[in-house]
Amino acid sequence: MGLFDKLVGWLGLKKEVNVLCLGLDNSGKTTIINKLKPSNAQVQDIVPTIGFSIEKFKTSSLSFTVFDMSGQGRYRNLWEHYYKEGQAIIFVIDSADKLRMVVAKEELDTLLNHPDIKHRRIPILFFANKMDVRDALSSVKVSQLLCLENIKDKPWYICATDAIRGDGLQEGVDWLQDQIKTMKT
Amino acid sequence: MSSVDSSGDGGKWLDAHYDPVAGLYTFSSCIDLADLSGDRESRLVVGDLGTGSSGMKLKVYRGTALISENSLLDLPAGLVAFFMDLHEPRIPAVAVASGPCIYVYKNLRPYFKFTLPSLDINPLEQDVWQQAREGQIDPVMLKEMLESIRKKADVPLSVRSLRFLSLESDEVDEFVQLYKQQPIRRQTVITCIGTLKKSTADEDGISCLVIGTENSDVFILDPEAFTILCKMSLPTVPTIMDVTGQFDVEFRITVACRNGSIYILRRESEKPKYCIELSSHPVGLVRVGKNMVVGCTDESLQGFTQKGKKLWKIILPAPVTTMAAMDLPTRGLQAVLVGLANCQVHLYRDKNLLSTIKTPDTVTSICFGRYGREDGTLIMTTKGGGLMVKILKRTAVFDDMDSTPGPPLAQSVRLNVPKKTKLYVDQTLRERENGLAMHRAFHMDLSRTRVAAARAYVKALESSLTPMSSSLSKPLKMNAVVQGLGPSFKLTLNIQNTASCRPIMNLAINFLYDDNLYRIRNPYMKIPLLVPGLIYPVETFVECTSDKGISDIIKVFVLHEEKSSPLLTAHINMPVSEGLVLS
Ligand SMILES: Nc1nc2c(ncn2[C@@H]2O[C@H](COP(=O)(O)OP(=O)(O)OP(=O)(O)O)[C@@H](O)[C@H]2O)c(=O)[nH]1
Ligand SMILES: [Mg+2]
Repeated sequence: MGLFDKLVGWLGLKKEVNVLCLGLDNSGKTTIINKLKPSNAQVQDIVPTIGFSIEKFKTSSLSFTVFDMSGQGRYRNLWEHYYKEGQAIIFVIDSADKLRMVVAKEELDTLLNHPDIKHRRIPILFFANKMDVRDALSSVKVSQLLCLENIKDKPWYICATDAIRGDGLQEGVDWLQDQIKTMKT
Repeated sequence: MSSVDSSGDGGKWLDAHYDPVAGLYTFSSCIDLADLSGDRESRLVVGDLGTGSSGMKLKVYRGTALISENSLLDLPAGLVAFFMDLHEPRIPAVAVASGPCIYVYKNLRPYFKFTLPSLDINPLEQDVWQQAREGQIDPVMLKEMLESIRKKADVPLSVRSLRFLSLESDEVDEFVQLYKQQPIRRQTVITCIGTLKKSTADEDGISCLVIGTENSDVFILDPEAFTILCKMSLPTVPTIMDVTGQFDVEFRITVACRNGSIYILRRESEKPKYCIELSSHPVGLVRVGKNMVVGCTDESLQGFTQKGKKLWKIILPAPVTTMAAMDLPTRGLQAVLVGLANCQVHLYRDKNLLSTIKTPDTVTSICFGRYGREDGTLIMTTKGGGLMVKILKRTAVFDDMDSTPGPPLAQSVRLNVPKKTKLYVDQTLRERENGLAMHRAFHMDLSRTRVAAARAYVKALESSLTPMSSSLSKPLKMNAVVQGLGPSFKLTLNIQNTASCRPIMNLAINFLYDDNLYRIRNPYMKIPLLVPGLIYPVETFVECTSDKGISDIIKVFVLHEEKSSPLLTAHINMPVSEGLVLS
């Protein structure tokens, strides 16, 4: 496998990874993914996602296919149908929405206990988004409220982001890329 | 903020926020949810009663934070958010009813004040004050005259006169000096407020305000001009109101009143169309679809149709403090939330308790709807001024029979009973017509059966055909055991003397059998003396001589030497001889 990887590298073919982008509606999932795309492929107005949409972006060594799921309550039951395909999860939280932090936690717990996720060492990247909003909770506070310290059997990482300006996104994606590379079987 | 499920609700609600010291003192009639900034995020609008004499405020919450406060001049009696115009973006106005006025806020700024028309003044009262102004009568005289007017007047006195009558004698002079120059006014106050869509049922359609007054009137106001579109009269003072329909099409105003009755007003009738007389006073009134659910002071919850027909009544574990509708059309959920004085909130679908929420304090107001971006949000304020926000879990389902007061669900399931056949109908008719004769025939047959049974029994006893002898001198019991596979069997007869003290002597055993089939080693045996109580086994061997695999009955007789008829008879069903068949 190692040799094959190198070969892929020499040929300039990047390894494909499927990433699920989850989180409540209005948390900024689409905005984040849009920001990660090359600037010429970015769209200007972002509207609430219906169902889900598939986006692609590349990093130095990986080619990501992102399932940008809709976070609206009525579409959240779609998420689990993609758990099997996902090799990594990006979970976006609106740090300014204190009221719905419990809802985000509830959805996260449901995700972590799903049979397709529970026993896998799938890496989870948390974006504590909307840091720019006044009164937004810090990423430490967000990780406390979501009880992230209880996730013992999966690598995870949280970073504070401002998706409009793109702050903090690169840090998270770098971590994800490292995780996926070390995950190699 | 805690994220632990509160106990007792079956994990259906997420605790989003609880601030026990929010300082919110209000009732369900003074609380509403509305998208006040047009960003599809609903705010919580509360008319805060403060201490009841000061600190009345209009408060607005966004998420967990208080974002705006406006002082109110008087106690709010009701608060509603409503669309009063067609301007874009669609932002609702807030109407606060307090005293004789409705204060309308747009973008959270005071926008308009509507005052109820003043009422007619008693001409006698007017005359008396006129005389006082002109110095013709002194305050003592004035007081006497007003008192007599109050007693017999058909038009009640004004607030000013009533206040005057309640004064101590040293205050009256000053009061008269202060007020005698001012004209008398008689004002009523608003007791309840609701909204009624003008001409469309759209969510953001323009709504009229509907108000009930202390003067037992109901007014419908035009949302733009604030003119009175319609006035209706009730026999008594309305306190709780529910409005449904559209002003231009058809509407229905249900009001619970201070005399313990509920009246239903319809379009184009000035007087109530239906009346429900309750056995005790209503505390809460909620409409669920076409039915009404009423909570009463006698700790009961009752359901009525829109025409006032009573559907059901249940007894609650504690007095009702407040009620609200829980309507979640996207999940097909329609239920009633009932706040109880025992720190619980019960959720009922019809008369079935779906779920119980325990609260740290008694709940005084409940509001369910879209708050922020969450459709199923339950907002409650408590007696101690706390604010509690719970969010219905996406996965929560309510079973009708979470706890089961009332008949089991199975009882209401319709059985698939086949259609009645002609035969069945004929039979039923016959039974109905000849019931008496059939009953007699049945009894006759029953008696005959009994006689036949008794005769057979007597005969059996007389001829000692039973394995038990009931003769007083020689009471005996016997049972037989057959052992072995054949062709040779061992036959053991256990004989017992059941007398209390007398032994039995001179008994013998004899067998009657088909000698083509069986050979018995000792077909006649003498029985030794039988001591009472002991069991005597008498053994013999039976040889089956047939190889056809058939079996027969062997009869056993216990005989007394002096008697010709046997004391006991036993029939032994011999098993098939397997040994012979095998060999
Ligand atoms: N202030 C601020 N606003 C943000 C940020 N990220 C996203 N938003 C805004 O949040 C709103 C929702 O963003 P979306 O990307 O559509 O959210 P989403 O998670 O994709 O929502 P759904 O598709 O409905 O699940 C948009 O108006 C964004 O402009 C941020 O970091 N800061
Ligand atoms: Mg989206």
